[in-house]
Amino acid sequence: MRLSVAAAISHGRVYRRFGLSPRSRLDLLRNLVTALVRHERIETPWARADEMRGYAERLIDYAKRGDKDERAMRMADFWLTEKDLIHKLFKVLAPRFQPHAGSYTRLLQIPNRDGLDRAKMAVIELKGNPLPPLVRPRRDSDRTLLNQLLKGYRQDAQRARG
Amino acid sequence: RVSSDGKPPKFQPPPKPVIIDRKTKKEESRFLSPEFIPPRGRKDPLKYYIERKDMIQRRKVFNIPEFYVGSILAVTTANPLASDKSSRFVGICIQRGGTGLGATFVLRNVIEDQGVEICYELYSPRIQAIEVLKLEKRLDENLMYLRDALPEYSTVDVNMKPVPRMDHEEIPVNKVQVRMKPKPWSKRWERPKYNIKGIKFELPEHKMQAAQKWSQPWLEFDMLREYDTSKIEEKIRKELSEELEK
Repeated sequence: MRLSVAAAISHGRVYRRFGLSPRSRLDLLRNLVTALVRHERIETPWARADEMRGYAERLIDYAKRGDKDERAMRMADFWLTEKDLIHKLFKVLAPRFQPHAGSYTRLLQIPNRDGLDRAKMAVIELKGNPLPPLVRPRRDSDRTLLNQLLKGYRQDAQRARG
Repeated sequence: RVSSDGKPPKFQPPPKPVIIDRKTKKEESRFLSPEFIPPRGRKDPLKYYIERKDMIQRRKVFNIPEFYVGSILAVTTANPLASDKSSRFVGICIQRGGTGLGATFVLRNVIEDQGVEICYELYSPRIQAIEVLKLEKRLDENLMYLRDALPEYSTVDVNMKPVPRMDHEEIPVNKVQVRMKPKPWSKRWERPKYNIKGIKFELPEHKMQAAQKWSQPWLEFDMLREYDTSKIEEKIRKELSEELEK
């Protein structure tokens, strides 16, 4: 007989369960956030990337407060396990995202993992990173009817001007 | 000055008196009742907007004063069974809960050696008057531990006169450390989950250390659990001030 119905129902719960315990979940996400700040683009299972995204963006919001802020420094000290990245966070990432109000990361799904688990994988990257872009913006083909008509219109306008 | 052109010297009016308006200082640190702030969730904000309109309607007709957990209030409610159809209860506010029209507050008092707690709804039409006898704050937001404290800390004189208070004064914080009855208590108040500052724990040191085993130090760094209400509060404050001026 099911003794606790409440344990099986998760209505309205937003935090996924990772690792062995809530502490372990935060440690896992902390490692991912550190890796993201170091490499600026990482490939992980989609669920972990999605969970980590919120924490990464809030960390950058804290960093925007400046390194003089006591609470911001404590947060950065907890979330970045490699201490040289604290300097990078406050001096490189915070000024880069100063003009934006939010959405500092991009999450894109990639084909499932090759191993036995076939996990749904994703790539999460900070916007404005120096690596080559993941998605090349494709222009519409020149051979479509609309583009041909527009091309003809542009040529006529140029001939009329010249 | 020496007379110019033989005429009497020009009349110099006395300097204008400088009026320090203390009321403007109060506008900046205005009190927003906690039931106006909507909880985090995916509900449509229209629901909270409509509820706020109803709350403002009620507040225009009936005055709900500013009070905090730890203040002493006197509430008169309509009671069909009483001789003059109304009953008055005086007590210390131990908890303020709920949001919107269902907002409640619990008053506690000890009457003839029996502890009595009554939970009133702020916007109930049965309430005829809410009077703040003593406006003060305590070290905690929730004083449920008074149930396990010595009864002297929950007794409030029923015929107490309201304590006069100046408008511009800051709300006083009562830093009293409450002494408890011997264990067992209704809840294990020494555990860090409750984060109680207002109890003088007379437990042995090893029991206090054992209670720290249940502490979750990582919760402080869990950024997604924070609910920043400053912008929401600004909007609601503006809305309230517009509506109440009408």
